[in-house]
Amino acid sequence: MTVKWIGKRMMMGVVVLLVVSFLSFFIMHAAPGDPATAFYGGNAQTLNAAEKERISRVFSLDRPITAQYGSWLVETLKGNLGISYKEGRPVITILRERLPNTLLLFGVTMFFIIVGSVWLGTIAGMKAGSILDKGLSILSIATSSIPAFWLGILFISFFAVKLGVLPSSGTGEIGGEGGFWDKLRYLILPATVIIFTHVGIFARFLQENIKDESRKYYVTVARANGVTEREIRKGILHNASFPYLNYIGMTIPSFFGGSIIVESLFSWNGLGQLTIKSVVTKDFPLLMGSILLIGMLVVISLFIIDFLMYSLNPKLRKGGVQ
Amino acid sequence: MLKVNQLSIEINGKRIVDGSSFFVPRGRITSIIGESGSGKSMTISALLNILPAGSKAAGQAFFDNKDLLAISNKEMSAIRGSQIFTVFQDALNSFNPSVKMGKQLYEFSGRRIRHSVAEFHLKMDDILNDLGLSKAIMEQYPFELSGGMLQRCMIACALYVRPRLLIADEPTSALDTLLQKEFIELLKGLNEKQGTTILLITHDLDIVAEVADKMVIMHKGKVVEVGNVAEVFERPKNAYTKRLLESRF
Amino acid sequence: MKSRKMLAFWCIVLGIIVFSTVFSGNLAPYEPNDMNLDEVYLSPGDGHLLGTDHLGRDVFSRLLGGGKVTLTVATVSVLLSLVLGVLYGGFSGYVGGIVDTALMRLLEVFITIPSLIIILSFQAFMQGGMWSMALIIGVTGWLSTARIVRSEFIRLKEAEFVQMAKMFGTPIWKIIISHLLKNSVPAIFVVTLFNFANAIFIEVSLSFLGIGVPPAIPSWGNMLYYAQNDILIGAWWIGLYPGILIFITILAINFIGEALKDPERRRFSA
Ligand SMILES: Nc1ncnc2c1ncn2[C@@H]1O[C@H](COP(=O)(O)OP(=O)(O)OP(=O)(O)O)[C@@H](O)[C@H]1O
Ligand SMILES: [Mg+2]
Repeated sequence: MTVKWIGKRMMMGVVVLLVVSFLSFFIMHAAPGDPATAFYGGNAQTLNAAEKERISRVFSLDRPITAQYGSWLVETLKGNLGISYKEGRPVITILRERLPNTLLLFGVTMFFIIVGSVWLGTIAGMKAGSILDKGLSILSIATSSIPAFWLGILFISFFAVKLGVLPSSGTGEIGGEGGFWDKLRYLILPATVIIFTHVGIFARFLQENIKDESRKYYVTVARANGVTEREIRKGILHNASFPYLNYIGMTIPSFFGGSIIVESLFSWNGLGQLTIKSVVTKDFPLLMGSILLIGMLVVISLFIIDFLMYSLNPKLRKGGVQ
Repeated sequence: MLKVNQLSIEINGKRIVDGSSFFVPRGRITSIIGESGSGKSMTISALLNILPAGSKAAGQAFFDNKDLLAISNKEMSAIRGSQIFTVFQDALNSFNPSVKMGKQLYEFSGRRIRHSVAEFHLKMDDILNDLGLSKAIMEQYPFELSGGMLQRCMIACALYVRPRLLIADEPTSALDTLLQKEFIELLKGLNEKQGTTILLITHDLDIVAEVADKMVIMHKGKVVEVGNVAEVFERPKNAYTKRLLESRF
Repeated sequence: MKSRKMLAFWCIVLGIIVFSTVFSGNLAPYEPNDMNLDEVYLSPGDGHLLGTDHLGRDVFSRLLGGGKVTLTVATVSVLLSLVLGVLYGGFSGYVGGIVDTALMRLLEVFITIPSLIIILSFQAFMQGGMWSMALIIGVTGWLSTARIVRSEFIRLKEAEFVQMAKMFGTPIWKIIISHLLKNSVPAIFVVTLFNFANAIFIEVSLSFLGIGVPPAIPSWGNMLYYAQNDILIGAWWIGLYPGILIFITILAINFIGEALKDPERRRFSA
């Protein structure tokens, strides 16, 4: 059962990545000049005839487009993502430098969003009719309506320009002079912006689920027969977590989209900022590489969430009997 | 043991139960009978303070001289957790779908009377066996069991905790006749050996005739007749009761 | 009753914003692009209600004019995604069976890809005017509409009155339009509202990054693009007001959407 399920999910991920790779390949073809030039960026002029010959053989440039795609895919899977126009370095190297920063930002914000929303949503949901219950419904809509980057601008103007307590942009180096704490200082503003604009709506979703779940028959039965409130709450929370996890999964793609913009605003040295930069400078190999990598991150995140749902929900595991 | 006086229930302004009064004597089996939708289940919900949101209950219900409709939530949970056990009508939805039966049965029974898990397994396995269930169900989830099996699981918990008052809302609706018979025997045993007071809600006049001492007849939210089973069967006073009894043959 | 009042309030708010941007030509005290290099970075006050920017342009007038651009882009894109969503979702839901399953799988794949990525790639090549912007937002924004339309169609298809109509030999196109589509309107309207908010978000974000609507055309996002630098020298008003307006617009749309959402139908259950 489990093996079959994992296989199915993997297939789905592969299909998604294939579509992303089409997009990437399309970029290469739509880029000005011949695809090989696009692939090898600014260095194309310096290539001599023999090398050009080699490239066009590797990429099957004289063959039909499907063959070209195949050859390109093989190169990509080998890790050959071409060379950046602007930096003249292999794309894969640049991506490797950026990835940890994006993972850091993603990990930290997701962590706090989940912890915060589970905390808020549980308290609000368990106390139906309380001030927090009503307040959260409104507050969550309000906070999720704020454009994150605009909040970022306000933060920069206040904390960086006016108070001067936090840096307005940059990433900070863990290995650099300031060490870990320096990095943290750079992280605070972008992370806060993302967390603040997301935590409310996540909490609200959980809150609604908890309220729905609390009205279920089995809860009444348990309560009427003296099952401890602690056990009842555990059960409610357990069941409310399924749609909540599903919701996280559904928002992951747009979550990545949103952090692309925040990264860019704070010049956070991650993949998002890299993507925007490559669009602005029309650095096509870099753009292709970033897209592929972001696509991969999304697929992996979704897989993790699916796996969590699968292991938490016996109905899924048992293949939905009844 | 339980004296209900002028109980009325409204849901969203609609009157569901209207001024019903009846008495459940200690150590006896009392049966509530009445057509579908007559307000039997809602009466139970009102007694246990678990009415759906938007509903109001008025009147009194004395349990050991405490008015169940007036006591604090804390007192109510204490009574629900130690004095009364209720087998609900909808067995299929009575369990949390994502928790194993063993754990849930323990929460319903063993934990309530402070038995260890080991004690619980020892005792529960026998009870399940009496009810025709294997102990393998402990490792299964509610959605893997049938309605009748779940109903028996709930009954097993009731037999386990031996409450002072057992309320059973159509506990045999999903059981075949053979199992029904066995359950009735268990119920009688519980009543005779342990002195458990039982409030049994059912559609089945045969069961009433077989086990109940007293009966309460409800019709459209009103209690139309109360009395000893033998007397009511012999000389029904109310027109609806008469029709009901006639339909039996 | 209370939620009724709330709904009316937010409708009025949104109405005022739409009205004043549509008629920005008549309402704005200055031409949005009129420069006056003697009056750069004036703080809010006499003559310039909300101050001026780095080229001495009136922030208030640009706000109204920019709103027109932003809301136009959002409207056009939403209409486009509405059409695409109804076609895709309606077809999938109506035909059902294997076709439906396949189309829904495909939809799932699309949903997994962050739409911003697709928009960005597109912008890398064809960063044109506001119409191409509206086009790409529309082309990437129909997924949720399709989902809703499909589930509505499936639900309605089984409904008695549709079965009856079929029995009486009503033509298919008539059933689709006057039964299925018509009864899906409330659900479609709500999802379209949320799409509208989303489209504003995207336009604003992209223009803010300098890869959306061309800088020559004022839009709320473009104003924020320049505000990044202005804020560093203390001209906070240039960034504050467009943001507030975006915030209020999206807030109004979200509250209206929430109020209209069928309480029976849960949010993401499509
Ligand atoms: N959650 C609810 N909201 C509103 N009305 C309800 C609700 N639950 C039950 N009712 C109404 O209360 C009345 C009594 O219902 P109740 O469940 O007590 O009937 P019953 O006698 O137990 O019937 P049955 O034998 O079918 O179980 C019914 O008319 C029903 O319409
Ligand atoms: Mg009932």
